[in-house]
Amino acid sequence: MPDRARSVDRLLPLKPKVLHILLAVADGPRHGYSIMQEVAQRTDGQVRIWPAALYGFLRELEKADFIVESTDRPAAADDDERRRYFALTPHGKRVLDAEVRRLEAIVVHARASRALRKARA
Amino acid sequence: MMDDRRAIRDDRNRLLEEARARGRGPLIRTWFALLWDLVVVGARHDLAQALRAVMRSPSVTFGISLLLGLGVAATTTLFAFVDAVLLRPLPYDQPDRLVMMFESNVTQDRLREGPSPGNVADWADRNDAFDAITAMLSVSATLRTGDGGTPIAGVHVTRGFFDVFRRQARLGRTFTAAEYEGATSIGSRQPYSGEPVMVLSHRFWQTLGADPQLVGRTINVEGRDWRVIGVMPDDFAVPDATATFWTPWDLRVSYRPRYPNGPPRDARFLRVVGRMKAGLSVAGAEARMQTLASVLEAEHPVINAGWGVRLSPLADEIARTSRLELLLVFGAMSCLLLLLCANVASLAIARGLARAREVAIRLALGARGSLVTRQLIAENLLGAVVTLIIALVLTTWWVSAALSIAPAGIPRLHEVAMNWRVASFAALLALLVTAIGNAVPTLRASRTPIAGALKDGAAVSGSGSGRLRAGLVVVEIAAAVMLLVGAGLLVRTFAELRRVDVGFDTSNLLVLRITPDAARYRTQAQTAAYYRRVIASLREVPSVASVAAITSLPMSTIGSEFTRPFWPEHAGPETRTEASIRMATPGYFDTLRLPVLAGREFTDADEANAPRVVIVNQKLATSAWGDANPIGRNLVLDYQEGAYPYQVVGVVRDNRHDGPRSEPVPEIYIPHAQNSYLVLNVIARTTLDPMAVAQTARAAALRIDPDQPVHSVTTMDQLLGEVVKLDRFAMLLITLFAVGGLITAAGGVYALLAYTVMQRRRDIALRMALGASPRRVARSIVMESLVLAAAGGAAGLLGALALSRFARTLLFGVAPQDPLTIASSVAVLLVVVIAASWLPARRASLIDPSRAMRI
Repeated sequence: MPDRARSVDRLLPLKPKVLHILLAVADGPRHGYSIMQEVAQRTDGQVRIWPAALYGFLRELEKADFIVESTDRPAAADDDERRRYFALTPHGKRVLDAEVRRLEAIVVHARASRALRKARA
Repeated sequence: MMDDRRAIRDDRNRLLEEARARGRGPLIRTWFALLWDLVVVGARHDLAQALRAVMRSPSVTFGISLLLGLGVAATTTLFAFVDAVLLRPLPYDQPDRLVMMFESNVTQDRLREGPSPGNVADWADRNDAFDAITAMLSVSATLRTGDGGTPIAGVHVTRGFFDVFRRQARLGRTFTAAEYEGATSIGSRQPYSGEPVMVLSHRFWQTLGADPQLVGRTINVEGRDWRVIGVMPDDFAVPDATATFWTPWDLRVSYRPRYPNGPPRDARFLRVVGRMKAGLSVAGAEARMQTLASVLEAEHPVINAGWGVRLSPLADEIARTSRLELLLVFGAMSCLLLLLCANVASLAIARGLARAREVAIRLALGARGSLVTRQLIAENLLGAVVTLIIALVLTTWWVSAALSIAPAGIPRLHEVAMNWRVASFAALLALLVTAIGNAVPTLRASRTPIAGALKDGAAVSGSGSGRLRAGLVVVEIAAAVMLLVGAGLLVRTFAELRRVDVGFDTSNLLVLRITPDAARYRTQAQTAAYYRRVIASLREVPSVASVAAITSLPMSTIGSEFTRPFWPEHAGPETRTEASIRMATPGYFDTLRLPVLAGREFTDADEANAPRVVIVNQKLATSAWGDANPIGRNLVLDYQEGAYPYQVVGVVRDNRHDGPRSEPVPEIYIPHAQNSYLVLNVIARTTLDPMAVAQTARAAALRIDPDQPVHSVTTMDQLLGEVVKLDRFAMLLITLFAVGGLITAAGGVYALLAYTVMQRRRDIALRMALGASPRRVARSIVMESLVLAAAGGAAGLLGALALSRFARTLLFGVAPQDPLTIASSVAVLLVVVIAASWLPARRASLIDPSRAMRI
C-alpha cells in the first residue's frame, strides 16, 4: 500500500508531546490520568502534559484516527466507570513506527558523526 | 465535550491530591501548572472560535478595525507629541530640581525678565539655595570652512552650566573650571589670554562629518580658532534644538572693558537656570533668593529698586510656548475618537441584534451564557489586535510625517518618536475603544431572550437598543458641535491675526540677514562703512525701490533685542523706565512704510560724529511728553558707558514688533552710524514679488565681501507667517478634525435612521395604507433627525461654552461665546443632519404598502 505509506510520512515529524502520548498507549489502552503519569515517569518528569492540554491532544488524535476510545476495560475492581480508555489504532501504530524509524535514522547518523564520537571518547 | 470536562476535572483533582501528599512546594507548583494549562488551552480554544467567527464576515470586522485604527493612530500620533513635549521628564538628572530664574518687579509690572549679568554673577557667588546657577546667552556666529562662511547659532554659558544639567559629553569632555576663567564672548573684540574651547552639539558634529577625531582639533568660528573638546549626546538641546555649540563665558571679565564697576544690572536679557539644593521646594528656594535679592537691592538701591527673584520649574518653561495648542489639538482628537467609538458602538449594537439569532441558537442548544460572552470577548480581543496593528503601522508613518510639518517653535520636537511609551499608549487605546465600541452587545449577549430571537420574522430590536443608539447619535452630534465651534473660533482667530494691522506694510519686503565677522570688522567705523556699501549695492538691483537695515526687525528672531533705562530730560532720573533699543540705517522707516508722524527720518548726516539723535515711537512719546510735541526735546538714555541726553528728531507710528498678538512697546531708534552693531536685518522694498529678486539681491550683498554670510533670505510676509504658524497649525488640524467629526456624525445619523426605517417598514406601510402621503412620511423621518440634532446640538454647545473658556488665551479678536461662530456651527450641523436623513426619508416615502404588508 504505497499510498498509505506516503500519507504516513506526510504526518511526520510528530510533535514531541504527541509522540509521548502515542508511546504511552502503545502497550495497551490507558486512561487520561495514567497517560499523564506514564509520560512523566518515562521522561523523569521533564515532559509533563496537564489535563486540559491532554484532552485537547486526545481529541485531535482521535480525529486523526491515531487513537480510539477503547471499550476494553480492566477488571471491575480496578475500574472507575468515569474513566475513559484510549488505545492505538492500526493507523496510529503505523505512524508511531514510522516516527520511531525516523528518529532511529537520526540517531544512527549522529553516532556516525566524528565530532560526536570524539566527544564521547 | 461534556465528558472531557468531567474527566479533566477528575484528573486535576487527583493530581492535586497526589501533589498535596508530597508537600506544600509540589502542591503550589502543580496548582500553577494546572492554572496555566487551563488558561492557555481555554484561550486557544476561544481564539480559534473567534477567528472562525471573524472570518465568516471579515469585511465588517476589518472595516470596524480600520475605522478605529485610524482614530487610534491619529490620537496616538498626537500623544507622541504631548508625551515628548509635556509629559516626559527632561533628559537630565533629577529634572525637578531645575528651575528657570527671572527678575521680577511688581511695581513696574515686569514679572518675568531675563536676569541682568551683574545680578546673576552675584546670585551665582552668594546664594544658599542652589548647587549651581548658570546664565546663557545665545549668539549667532560664522563658521569658516574651506568653502566660505556658514552662519551658526551658539550659546555662551557661565560656570556651572554642566553641573546644572548634569550631562556628560558623548565624546571628549565638558569645560573645566579653569576654562571658564576669563573667557570672553565669542564676538568680543578684546583679547583673550587662554585658548578658546567649545563643546559641539551632536547635530552640528554630524554636519561637520561626524568624525570622532574632530575632538581635539580646532574649527574657525568668528575669525578665531576654537579647540573642540567635546560633543554632547543627541538629546542635549539647551536652551533649544537650534544650539550648535557651547562656549565658556566669564561674565565679570567679559563686561570689564565697558563696565569697569562690574557687569550691568539694569540690562535684563540673560537666560538663567539653576539646580536647587536637594530637598528644597521651588517656593523654598525662591524665598531664600528673595532674601539675597533684598541684600542686592540695599547694595544697589537705584538700579535694583523693586527687583526680586522669581523661579519657575524648567519643565513648565520649556513646555510653555505650545502647551495649550498641543492640549487643544489632543483634546479635539480625543473628541473625534469618542465620536468614532460611538459610531462603532452603534454599529456593534445593530450587529449584535443581527447575531442575536445565532447566539439564541447556541444558548438554546445548552451553551452556557458565560461561554458565549467569553467567545464574544475573544472576538473583540482579536478585533483590538487588528486595530492595534493598523494603528501602529499608521502611527509610525504619521509621526514622521507630522514631524516634518510641525512648526519649529514646538520645544523638544527632537524627542518626538515612535517608542515603547507611544506603542503602549496605542495598545491601551485600541483595547479601550474596542471595549467601548462592543461593550453593550457583548454584555447583553448572554441575556438574549431565546424565544423572542428565534420567533420567525420577529424584529429583534428591543426598544432599549433603539434608545441606546439614539443616545449614541446624540453624543456624536454633541462632539461634532464642540469640534465645529472650536474650529470656527480658531478659523476666526487666524483670520483676525492675518487681518490685524501690524503698523507697517508687510507686502513686497525682502529680508536678508548678515552676520559679519567680528574679527574682520573690528571697529564701529569699519562695520558702518561695510553696511553703507552693502545697502548701496542692493539699491542698484533692478526692481528694488529702497533699502535699509536694523538690528531688531519686527517678526524676526535674528538680531539684538534688549531694553535700556531712559527718562525725559525735564523729568529727571526718578521717572526712569525702559524702552527697546534699535539701531537703524537712514531710510528704514520709509522702506518699512512705518509712517513718520512728526519730525524726520534718519539721514546720512546722522553720522558717528554728529549730535546724538533718536527717533521714538508714539507710545514712548505719549508716556514721556503727553500731548506736547516731542521734536527737539531731549531724553536721557542710560546706555553705552553712562547716561547721556539724546535729541528726539522724529516720532514714528507704533508697531506690533513681536507679531499680531503682541502689543506695541516703547521704542527708541538710534542711527546705526552712531552705534554700529554687527548683526543686521537688511530689508529691501521691491516692486516685484520679493523672492523673485532674492538671488540677485543676495549676490549684490555678497559682492561687497564674499566672506560674510548673507543668510536666512526671506520676506516679511513669510516672517509673519512664521509668527502665526502655530495658530495656523492648530486651526488646520482642528478644522480637519471637525470635518471628520461631522462626517462621522452624519454617518451615525444616517445609519440609525436607515435602520429605523427598515425596522418600521410595516408601521410605515400601514400608515400609508391608511392615507398618509409619502411626503408626510418623509417629513416625519427628517423630524426625527432634527430631534436628535436639537438634543445633541444643545449638549454640544454647552460643552463648547464650558471648554472654550480654557482656550481663551489661544483666541484673538473673537470671544469664546462668539455668536457668529456658534450660529454658523449650528447651521452647518443642521444642514449635515438633514442631508444625512434625506436618503432614509426618501426610502421610507417609497415604501409600497401592498408589498411591505405582505412580508
